[in-house]
Amino acid sequence: MAERIGVYVCKCGPNIGGKVDVDTIVNDVKDLEGVAAAKSHNLLCSADGLAFLKSEIEKQKLSRVVVAACTPKMYEQKIMRACEEAGLNPFLMQMTNIREQCAWVTPDKAQATAKARSLVMAAINRAPLLEPIERKEIEVRADVLVVGGGVAGLEACLSLAQKGRKVYLVEKNPCIGGLAARFEEVYPTMECAPCMIAPELQEVLQKENIEVFTHSELEETLGSFGNFTVRIRRKARYVNEEACIGCGACVEPCPVEVSNEYDEGLSKRRAIFTPFAGALPNVPVIDKDNCRRFKGEECRVCEQACPFGAIRYDDKDEVVEKRVGAIILATGAGLFDPKALPQYGYGKLDNVVTALQLERLNASNGPTGGKVLLKNGEKPKSIAFVFCVGRKEKEYCSGICCMYSIKLAHVMREKLPDAKLYCFYSDICVPKKEHQQWYDRVTDQGVEFVRSDGVVAVAAEKGKLAVKYGTGSPAGTVSLDMVVLAPAVEPSPDIEALAGILDTSRDDHGFFCEEHALMKPFATALEGVFAAGSCQGPKDIGDAVAQAGAAAGRILSRLIPGEKLALEPMVAVVDEDLCSGCRTCIPLCPYSAITRDKEKGTSVVDEALCRGCGTCVAACPSGAIKARQFTREQILAEIRGVAK
Amino acid sequence: MKEPTIVGFLCNWCSYEGADRAGDAHLECPANIRTVRVMCSGRVEPEFVLQAFREGASGVLILGCHPGDCHYKKGNYKARRRISLLRKTLGQFGIEPERVKLDWVAAGEGERFARVANEMAGTIRKLGPLDLS
Repeated sequence: MAERIGVYVCKCGPNIGGKVDVDTIVNDVKDLEGVAAAKSHNLLCSADGLAFLKSEIEKQKLSRVVVAACTPKMYEQKIMRACEEAGLNPFLMQMTNIREQCAWVTPDKAQATAKARSLVMAAINRAPLLEPIERKEIEVRADVLVVGGGVAGLEACLSLAQKGRKVYLVEKNPCIGGLAARFEEVYPTMECAPCMIAPELQEVLQKENIEVFTHSELEETLGSFGNFTVRIRRKARYVNEEACIGCGACVEPCPVEVSNEYDEGLSKRRAIFTPFAGALPNVPVIDKDNCRRFKGEECRVCEQACPFGAIRYDDKDEVVEKRVGAIILATGAGLFDPKALPQYGYGKLDNVVTALQLERLNASNGPTGGKVLLKNGEKPKSIAFVFCVGRKEKEYCSGICCMYSIKLAHVMREKLPDAKLYCFYSDICVPKKEHQQWYDRVTDQGVEFVRSDGVVAVAAEKGKLAVKYGTGSPAGTVSLDMVVLAPAVEPSPDIEALAGILDTSRDDHGFFCEEHALMKPFATALEGVFAAGSCQGPKDIGDAVAQAGAAAGRILSRLIPGEKLALEPMVAVVDEDLCSGCRTCIPLCPYSAITRDKEKGTSVVDEALCRGCGTCVAACPSGAIKARQFTREQILAEIRGVAK
Repeated sequence: MKEPTIVGFLCNWCSYEGADRAGDAHLECPANIRTVRVMCSGRVEPEFVLQAFREGASGVLILGCHPGDCHYKKGNYKARRRISLLRKTLGQFGIEPERVKLDWVAAGEGERFARVANEMAGTIRKLGPLDLS
C-alpha cells in the first residue's frame, strides 16, 4: 500500500520564514509521489502548531510525517508525542533541521531555499522506509550485588538497604571494613577510624535485608541490567559462623605461626585467626594452606579448645546463586610495591617501611598496640617521609599520598614530640578545602619539608639510614632512624579476573573504566554495573563514599520494585537468516551487548545493553545487523535526497 | 554558480550539536554542505560515502566526537580505521582522497564546525565537481 506522507514546513516566525522561501518548497514537494499533503505553519512547536499537526494526521489519514523545522534536539520528543496522541507510531515521523543547519547559517535566500529543499527531499525519501517501533519494557529485579566491603561498599549497602532493597555483599577477606578499618586516625578530621567505621559495620551485619558473604568471591555473572544471575563462591571457613561466639579460645593453642598479612607482615598470626582485634564479623577462619591438619598431620587443638563445637574440618566451599538487577564494584585498590625501586632499600633494609606499615604500627589494634618502634625495639629519634614512590612509574598522581603522609607526620609529632621529622618531596598535592591547613599545621609543628627532584638512595650506615636526595641542587644526605615510603595507589591484583568475569573494561592504568569521567564517574560502560571507590581510581575515604552514594542513588532511581524498565528503542537487531556467525561484531561492541547463540551459530544483540551506536551494523560483512531508525536503506535514501 | 554538493555525516552527540551551535551563533557555513545525522561516526559505512558520490556529491565530510570523547567509547576510532582505508582505495580508483575527510567537532564547537565545513568547501571548490563517467 502506498504511504500517505504529510510534509509540514515550519516557518518559526521569521527565523526560517524570513530566510527560506518556505512556500516555494511546499509547492515543489506537494505533488511528489506519496505526498498526501504539504503545508507550512508559522510555529509548529506551539500549542496551536501541535494541534494542527495532530488534526492533519487524522484528517489526511497520514501514515508518515515529515517535519522540517529546528534541530531535532529541541522538539523532536514533543512532536513524537503529538504523533503518538494522533494515533501514529512516533517513529514514523521524520524531522529535518532547516533552521540551525540551514536558515541560520546561509545568508543568501536562494541558496538557503535550495539547501532546505534538498533536506526536505531527503526526509521525504526516507519517510516510507521508516518502521514503527514499539517501546519495550522488561521486568527487573531491584536487588543489588555489592562486591567489596570497604567504605564504598558499606555506603552502597546501607543506602540501598535503607530504601528496602535486598543487598548481597561479597567480601573476599574474612572481615569487612576494608583498609579504613586498619587505620588509627583518618584525615582530615583526625578521628578514630575504628570508631567511625564500627557503627557502619554493625549496621551492615545486622540489617535484615543485607546478606553478607565474607571470605567469598564473585565467580560468575550472567544476564544484563535488571536481570543478572550471579554466582558467589563462599569459601570454606572451617568455623561455623552460627555456632561461633568469637571468644578466640581456638586461636591461642594453634601451634602454627605465619606472617600476618593484615598487619602488613609486621606480626605473626596463627593458622586459625581473626585478621586483627575488632575485625568484624568476629569469627575466626582457618588458613588451610598453613594449617597442620590440612597438611596431613593429626592436629585437632583448635577443635578441642572450642567450647561451642564450632570448628568444622569438613567444611566445604559452597556456590550460591542469586538474582540481582544491578552490581556495584567496590573492590578497592592495591599499592605499588616499593621493591620495584631498589634505591629505597625496601624489603632489604630494616626500618624502611611503607605508610601502611606505619599505620599498623600506630594502630591500637596493630602489632605493637600502637607503639611506633624500630626493629631493635627503640623509639625512632628521626623519621623521613618519602613522597611519590612510584608516581613516575605509574604515570599518574594518586592524589592521596601527600595528605596521608602529612597526617602520619602530624601523628608522629604528637607521639614522638622530640623526633626530627622530614618530608622529602618534589611536588605537594593538597587540593581539598581542609587539606592545605594540615600542610601549614605540620610545617608549624617543626616537620621539615625538603624539596628536591627525589630521594635517590637509602643506605644502611652505622645502625642508621642515610637518605640521599636530589640529583642537582638542592641535594644532600640526611642520617636518620626510619624511612616511611608513600607508594602510589594501583589497581588491586584481582581486578583483572573480576573485569573478566563481568566483561567490563579497564582504563589505561588498569582501574575500572568509568562511563564518563565527569558526568557518570560512578558507572561503567556496562549498563547496570557500577564502580565506586578506589577500584575506579585512587581515592580517599570521603570521595569513595560519595561515589558509592551516587551509584546507589542511580540504582534506586532506575530499578524500582514492581516497575518495568524501559529499553532503548533504537537498538541493533540481527537478522538470523543473514548472519554467517563470523563474530566480527562481537568485539566491536563497547557495551558487550552482542553474544553468540551457540545453537543457532549467530550473533544476538541484548536489547537491554545495546545503546544503538550502530558500529556493529557498519562492520557486518553480511549486512545482517539492522540499526533501528538508522537502517542502511533509510540512510541511503536520505543520501539520495541530499547529494543531488 | 552552483557549487558541487558535499554530504556531511554528523554524529548525533558531538558534531551534530556542534553544527547546531554554529547555527545558534549564525556563523556562515557553506550552503552546499548537507547533513545526514547518524548516531555515531562508527555507523558510517564506506558504502554511504560511495553512494553519496554515485548520487552526485563531490565531497563527503564525516564528523565525530574528538578521540577519547566518543559517546559510545570507541566508535570514532572505528570510523578512523574505516575511512583511512577507504581513502586509500578511492585513490586507487582515481578519486582524490581529499574528497573524503574525517574530522572531529565537539558539541560546543560551533566555530570549529564552521571552519572545518568552510575548509572542506574550499577543498572541493579547488578540486571541482567529481566526474565519475
